[in-house]
Amino acid sequence: MAKEEKRRPFGMAQVIYTLLIISIVIPLLNPVGLPIGISQTTKDVYNYIENTLPPGSPVLIDLYYEMAARAELEPQAAAVVKHLFEKNCKLVFVSTITYGPIVFELLKSTAPDLFEGKQYGTDYVFLGYIAGNEPAVASLAQSIRTTIAVDNYGTPISQLPMMANIDKAEDFKLVFIVSSGTDTFGWYVRQWYTTHNVPLLFGALSVIGPSIKPYVDAKQAIGMLTGQRSAAEYETLVGRKGLGLASMDAQSFAHALILVFIIIGNIIFLATRSKSKSKEVKKK
Amino acid sequence: MSVVVRRNLPQIIVALIIVLMVLFYFFYINADVSKTFTTADKALSDWAIVITAIAAIVGGIDILRYHVNQIRKREMRQIIFSCIVIVMEIIMVLLACYALSSGIAITTQPNFAWLYTYLYAPADAAMYSILVFYIASASYRTFRARNPPAILLLIVAIIVMLGNTSLGAMIWEGFLPLRDWIYNVPNTAAFRPITMGIGFGLIILGLRLIVGKETTWMGRRE
Amino acid sequence: MIELIGGWLAAVMIVWIYSFVYKDNLLYRLAEHLFVGTAAGYSIALSLDSLNRTAFGQMAKGMEYWHLIIPIILGLTFFFKYSKKYYWIARYGVGVNVAVGAALALRTAPMANIIRQINAAILPLWVAEDPLKTFNNWLMVLITLGGLTYFIFTFFPKTEGKAGPVGIVYKALVTVGIYGMMVGFGYLFANTIMTRVGFLIGIILQYLQPRFDATLVAMILAIIAIAFAVMKKR
Repeated sequence: MAKEEKRRPFGMAQVIYTLLIISIVIPLLNPVGLPIGISQTTKDVYNYIENTLPPGSPVLIDLYYEMAARAELEPQAAAVVKHLFEKNCKLVFVSTITYGPIVFELLKSTAPDLFEGKQYGTDYVFLGYIAGNEPAVASLAQSIRTTIAVDNYGTPISQLPMMANIDKAEDFKLVFIVSSGTDTFGWYVRQWYTTHNVPLLFGALSVIGPSIKPYVDAKQAIGMLTGQRSAAEYETLVGRKGLGLASMDAQSFAHALILVFIIIGNIIFLATRSKSKSKEVKKK
Repeated sequence: MSVVVRRNLPQIIVALIIVLMVLFYFFYINADVSKTFTTADKALSDWAIVITAIAAIVGGIDILRYHVNQIRKREMRQIIFSCIVIVMEIIMVLLACYALSSGIAITTQPNFAWLYTYLYAPADAAMYSILVFYIASASYRTFRARNPPAILLLIVAIIVMLGNTSLGAMIWEGFLPLRDWIYNVPNTAAFRPITMGIGFGLIILGLRLIVGKETTWMGRRE
Repeated sequence: MIELIGGWLAAVMIVWIYSFVYKDNLLYRLAEHLFVGTAAGYSIALSLDSLNRTAFGQMAKGMEYWHLIIPIILGLTFFFKYSKKYYWIARYGVGVNVAVGAALALRTAPMANIIRQINAAILPLWVAEDPLKTFNNWLMVLITLGGLTYFIFTFFPKTEGKAGPVGIVYKALVTVGIYGMMVGFGYLFANTIMTRVGFLIGIILQYLQPRFDATLVAMILAIIAIAFAVMKKR
């Protein structure tokens, strides 16, 4: 093991960490309620589901995110699920990551209002975790029934009423991929859109958004939601206040603090650089 | 065993599977042959699902082996921590096996659900989110306007940070539309070559596997 | 009661893991090892679940699924990697898995990642009565070409004296590509901050704020552990 550098137990870095925590906790305890605008990207997604997606459509939702990403992706998932349920869509939840079952149960427990009045097996099902990554996605596209025998709770697929007419990719009108990774979107673009022409909707982390935008721009996906900002915007559009909106004040304050750090750091850097340059000139 | 069985035969099987799956996808002879192709193609995807599941189990067992070896080294402090890892792993697996044998879903077994909800989920969240502190300190220590490209990067980052939050809108209404423009135009164009590069990389990987040039999957031994 | 204990455990685990950013300490290592053990066990458990539903559950349906015995055998060959003599048997299982994944990507990547992207990159360079769209299209085409030039033509042949017209075009495109990518990376950095801050906000809202008493107690214990670690170092 490499030797640790000798450093003070409470230096500049630790001051920054403490200030960051304070900048987030204070607005969470005392919300300011700063207004947020709605971007065109989010409006496009909303308009597609509202105006283009037929009511009662089967929709596949892949929950592919870990616990930390819940803060950014669960509000998006909740807002879109609310919108889809308002249109009486039949939702087939699945997960190609081991966190999927936890994440689904947590979605149900933190947003129970979404599933009120909805019946498992008739309005929504959860197929559970399926190992295999891209082969699993490809296999589901060809046939769900020949890929898995039972859902997450052990009920045979054939005994779920809504699955009577839903088996392969062509039976779905939309796939909503809520993922904290980049690869997942590529899998669905290749195995569901390119092969079976099923419309895709991306729900991604803010950091992933820029790298998957080319797919959306090339019309391989109907749109995308990125991070807490899009979640807050979508919550505003569907009229459901959730974690997205609740987080925006804290995001603003934390961003302001980090901006201050960047500016101070650069001022010190430029001042140090000009000092060393003038020293060199004096030497000459 | 000869090199043929140890190295050449696995490579041939890999090449054969890739070529067959590409044939299944692109070639249409007649309806019956197409149905056979689809069935065979689906079967191979299902095989990959099963193999991946077993591979993940082997990965979990690797962790167990590592910590058993740590205990064998007899370093007192590490023994305690390694015992904790082994005990927790065995508890989770035993609870899962109990649920499977009872015919209930693993994630609905109460003790298993309690452990993953209150121990695994928050710890996992904390592990991933710890990076925020390092990003905050990096923004002070290393994010410097050293040269023109770095200055451009900084300016764009500041505009987007202001556009992402309500703070920007309070300073100037135009930050959000400017952020959207940057997202839709230069950002998309910048990441397009990367997306295409991913495609080239996948094609090259497939071709290298077919001709047997790609051998990293076989490990380092002969 | 069990929910109360769970809430306390969650808050304590988070605070002890976060204590690492101040100093590596005993409580962080305890939390880390609890997590690693649980995570490994969880991964095995869910893989068993997936195996049960995709292999054994299917095989129980009928003879047409009995071909799944082959991947089960291939998967079991992974255990041979522990053998010094028969390690090569594992290559059969790994090979099939790698081959299927590569094939699925190889056959669809040309259309998905290349042709469709090229289609999207071909834009009209003159849009009547819309100068902004014209400007946007020029920018997109130049940055895309510049980025591709930068990645594909990594080395440009050295020429004696002044660079010829091709060299000038190459340098111009590469420069545009680099600056375009700086814009992309600037956007990426800003969004990285949003994501990571979002993670922290989520944790505070979901775990620490509801159990503030547990958070406080965990913080006090973490401070003691850090102080102990600092004194031990000295």
